[in-house]
Amino acid sequence: MAVKFFGQFLVEKGLVNRESLLQAIELQEQKNLKLGEMALSMGYVTQADIERAHNAQMSKDIKLGDMLVEMGILTLNQLNEVITRQKNTHLYIGEALVLVGALTSDNLQKYLADFKADQAQYVSEKIELPLAVSNSEIWEMTADLTFKMITRVLDLPYRPAKSHAITATGTNFMMAAMDFTGDVEARYIISVNESLQKAIARAILREDNVDGESAEILEDTVMEFANVVCGNVAAKASQMGKILNINPPVTIRPTTAGLPVPANYSGICFPIHIGDGDVMHLILFVKD
Amino acid sequence: MKKVLVVDDSLSVARQLEKIINESGEFTCVGHAKNGAEAIKMNHTENPDIICMDMNMPGMDGLTALRSLVVLDKDVKVVMVTSLGGVGDKFTEALKLGAKNVISKPFEADGVLQILREL
Repeated sequence: MAVKFFGQFLVEKGLVNRESLLQAIELQEQKNLKLGEMALSMGYVTQADIERAHNAQMSKDIKLGDMLVEMGILTLNQLNEVITRQKNTHLYIGEALVLVGALTSDNLQKYLADFKADQAQYVSEKIELPLAVSNSEIWEMTADLTFKMITRVLDLPYRPAKSHAITATGTNFMMAAMDFTGDVEARYIISVNESLQKAIARAILREDNVDGESAEILEDTVMEFANVVCGNVAAKASQMGKILNINPPVTIRPTTAGLPVPANYSGICFPIHIGDGDVMHLILFVKD
Repeated sequence: MKKVLVVDDSLSVARQLEKIINESGEFTCVGHAKNGAEAIKMNHTENPDIICMDMNMPGMDGLTALRSLVVLDKDVKVVMVTSLGGVGDKFTEALKLGAKNVISKPFEADGVLQILREL
């Protein structure tokens, strides 16, 4: 039901066991050379060059390949050759599972087709953003996955309205927030009224009536919804080549003035009409 | 009936898991720890067969607790429960540290029970 990678799908379905998957991952780690190792094997750099570039990365946060070019150790053409060789020789997890004898080639093709069908529900659709932000494809995917999880997790009908740029959030009954760090930095916020909070609680707790539940547990269910979305966003981002870390969610009770978008961040609000009249707001504060 | 300890800082996830476990008729939930440190203590006092543990918790997180649990108790079977299951590196790290499997969120009752039965 979640965003998955192929090896996980196979283990969850009982098609390969944990030990075989670990063996295949070990084989991948041996065969798939990192950029520095590949450049070394192609004779473009020495071990001492790589160590110098690693040391330089401590004071400048750029990728190893870019650093090797900046230091004049690799030309841009050589870097592209190294990256191309990495891609062309990459051993995928399915191939590695065949090599360790956990799958046959025929089974691999069948299971790959099953996997693609399972994950088709999470193929991102194009979302229009109201302003130019870096890594826009990540934020379009984040909005799209939020919409999809309203159906998958909450089982509620929804209709997204046009997103807009904001300088402050509106006020609301409660907000659940999570921070993304890593290759991109942003704050993800879900803002709901009291009625939507209860609808989320009914779905998460799988109860028909949540009127007797404590405020603490009702808030926790909204945080859990944000957690599920953000974890799946991180999984989808990793498939797009971006590392996103998430911290545990927090609750925010906004004042009547709302929350201002912090300096050096861009604010985007996606209003989402839920059911007959409630509006959930997905708000992103994206670091410029 | 196999005993299961639930470890999650989220009250609502703990409630979901306890309900699935107790309604199965095959497993019984023996407690709920809210972080890794509590999990290590409750593993000692409750002696569960299986631990279902969140990966991302404030205080001692799930992977840190997993490292200790597999050293302290060679018989315990730990399954990680996380919304980050689809991040390949996280999934692999959990298996390498000794987790028997990873349950991704959102989860269905059938999927959870199938994984618990296979242990």
